[in-house]
Amino acid sequence: MPDYLPLLLMVLIFFGLAMGFRLQIGLALALASLGGALISGHGLALRHLVEGGFGYLDTILIIATAMIFMTSLQKSGMLDAFTSFLLRAFYRHRFLLLFSMMLLTMFPGMITGSSTTAVLTTGALASPVLMKMGMSRVKTAAFIAMAGILGMIAPPVNILVMIMGAGVDMPYVGLTFPLLALVIPLAVIFTLWIGAKEVKSLTSSELEEIIASLPAGQSNFRIYLPLVLVAALLLAQNSALPFLSQLGLPLIFLLGGLLNWLLHWKKMNFFLVTQQALAEALPILAILVGVGMFIQIMTLTGGRGWIVLVFLSLPPALLYLGMGISMPLFGAVSAFGSASILGVPFILALINTNAILTSSALSAIAGLGDLMPPTALAGMFAAQVVGEKNYFRVLRHCLVPALFELVFALGFLLGGPFLAKIF
Amino acid sequence: MKTRLNFKNLNFQRGQPIFIFIMVVIICFFTGENFLSLHQEDLIIPSSGLSQQLRLSHYLPTLANTPGNTRVFLFEGKEKGGNVLILGGTHPNEPAGFIAATILIENLIIKKGRLFIIPQANLSGFTHNDAFEANPQRFSLPAQDGLRWFRYGSRLTNPIHQWPDPTTYINPSSQKLAGPESRNLNRAYPGSKEGSLTERVAWAIMQLLKTENIHLAIDLHEASPEYPVINAIVFHERAAELAAMTMMDLQMEGFDLRLEASPPNLHGLSHREWGDLTSTLAILLETANASHGRLKGKPSPQLIVKGQDANYVRAARLGRLFVPFDEEGIPLKRRVARHLASIKSLITNLAALYPSQTIKFEYFPSPQLLLKNGFKDFLQIASSSK
Amino acid sequence: MKVIYQLILLWLTLNLTVYLFREKRLSWQLSAGMVLILFILRLLLIK
Repeated sequence: MPDYLPLLLMVLIFFGLAMGFRLQIGLALALASLGGALISGHGLALRHLVEGGFGYLDTILIIATAMIFMTSLQKSGMLDAFTSFLLRAFYRHRFLLLFSMMLLTMFPGMITGSSTTAVLTTGALASPVLMKMGMSRVKTAAFIAMAGILGMIAPPVNILVMIMGAGVDMPYVGLTFPLLALVIPLAVIFTLWIGAKEVKSLTSSELEEIIASLPAGQSNFRIYLPLVLVAALLLAQNSALPFLSQLGLPLIFLLGGLLNWLLHWKKMNFFLVTQQALAEALPILAILVGVGMFIQIMTLTGGRGWIVLVFLSLPPALLYLGMGISMPLFGAVSAFGSASILGVPFILALINTNAILTSSALSAIAGLGDLMPPTALAGMFAAQVVGEKNYFRVLRHCLVPALFELVFALGFLLGGPFLAKIF
Repeated sequence: MKTRLNFKNLNFQRGQPIFIFIMVVIICFFTGENFLSLHQEDLIIPSSGLSQQLRLSHYLPTLANTPGNTRVFLFEGKEKGGNVLILGGTHPNEPAGFIAATILIENLIIKKGRLFIIPQANLSGFTHNDAFEANPQRFSLPAQDGLRWFRYGSRLTNPIHQWPDPTTYINPSSQKLAGPESRNLNRAYPGSKEGSLTERVAWAIMQLLKTENIHLAIDLHEASPEYPVINAIVFHERAAELAAMTMMDLQMEGFDLRLEASPPNLHGLSHREWGDLTSTLAILLETANASHGRLKGKPSPQLIVKGQDANYVRAARLGRLFVPFDEEGIPLKRRVARHLASIKSLITNLAALYPSQTIKFEYFPSPQLLLKNGFKDFLQIASSSK
Repeated sequence: MKVIYQLILLWLTLNLTVYLFREKRLSWQLSAGMVLILFILRLLLIK
């Protein structure tokens, strides 16, 4: 059996179940993987299915705990209080308000290197403000999804570059300026493209009206304490502080959630908060497990090697096109996986270029993988944050900015020899 | 997306979750049994030349009873001479180093000097496999009376032994790396006495280098065929002359070998920290392992042992590889023979450069014999089971 | 730190099990089961 055949059948099973039977995506992926294992003569391959799922255990824990934290913030009234605070501070300056929302949403991504964290934390803070400013729900989601992706690429922490660097023995040094040169222009352009047309400057009376519509919460500093704690601990992750830098994101989010519960234990039941958070996060958790299974079986049947080889076989002129297509496409299974599995061979194929610039540009391309269905982590979470059921409606508004980012990053790649003289 | 499928007519209410929960427990039981089976140590039968078998806790007592407490085999000649350390299994998914070290332990007899061999430097890494790689858990080699099974592990320490990973890992030499690299032994040097399991293993190895006054230390590795540093001898600057002499020897024996200077800004790696922080001459050897690469076809024990892969043949034709790769592949016996030949030449040249650091062998497993006849002559006893 | 993470996982495992028994739709029960397998195996430090 040729190596691509089981993969082809797995993809067919997946689409059949997900589209035809409208089965949940996580389950459809798991069943497609099981089918692939059976077809290729590996039997049930339970070990491989479970081992593949484990590839995402860390991500699953981050998402589950981040959801607990966000649910608790919602219950304590912090989200509403923060929204009215930001509106009061910036309501006269349309672009400034939008750009501050962009940076605010990017921030956790810059620290953690994950778009998911950005979208789920400060993205969730920014989205009510944006919607009150007159931005539509799906555009708001697109805005924070793109901000999350930029946050993932922005320094100081870019895990995609670290993964690629680990594959070619490039130390994670000297990346701040190349990454900023990629991210800042994109941040300005995305802010203008997605936001500027819809959002209006508010008058004082409109502002009062909006703020009055928010549920009255206590507005003392206590409700901000959990967020301050989480922000402080996130910053400490990037330092050499011996104990604090070891905490890991799941513990940080859970500590934030627990502090919030201690401050508001009268009106909040931590068990119910966890139940609600898990119920909301379960679709994505199941998808991640399913994707992990899918990749493992795809590798087991030789499908992964076949795909990498197909893209590496492209003639040099098409190589850049191949990168632009394959890396975001592979991001459908995981942007990090794309960086490791395709990013490393591509850097090696471009061995004569400056590895720092190449990996920076490739990270911007691989990061777009977080917009690629069926996982589309950034798009899916952004949709969830604004309460939009169909994340494809969000992705539609991400298309133009994403294409722009792709072209910009490819330009960065092609201009590498010239840029190398600047940095 | 939430309520797409209801299966209303299939809903048996109470019994259904219980049934699913039982299924979960059953799957956990069977896969768990499989995963735990990897914790059994590999069979290694030392030759009659063995002087002492230690554990790494000899050099750092807090490693006792931890999954990092790996075996250290000491071969000591009657005469005093040089002290050499050979490290295999730093990355358990690079089997040539582990097998080369095993073959040495099972056959070596020494007349002069001391040879320390650690066949499975990151012992914890042998107890699990990397997600998404779908590698086999074990592979077998022919022994005199049957098959000998070996574990094929992961590049990294098992997360159940060191969990969780930090968001970003700042290693003991202050290099910033992706979080999972905190479980990579060859990024953890010089290690830390109170640090993570991986860092403590690294610290104990540094301690061995210092207390045993090791003159030459060799770290055995493999890399994927698409990786530039391959079929290479990576040397610390103080070992440059030794490496150059070895390269010439190996080329005469028919092994093409590339010289690679250890990059001065890449910290935490053995060839950098060993050389910088101890008086040892630090060397790292690389061979090409197709089962380790991103282009590999179906992963299998045959791919590990025979090293034949049609994808890599095509990639070589496309000029994407850094080693020649044809239909013959690069079998494990050739990779192990290359390591053995390099080790032998390094030790011989050490004696030529520094006569007081001579090591003399009564018997050294011949790389040429291994190439000709395979592993059978060097592995006496088969495993009783997988 | 490992023990703290086991406690986190214990909390999540218990909650997900409760969710599994409260949930009425088969497909969501199965999804919870998929995730639960990972949680249990890591909680017991098996994988």
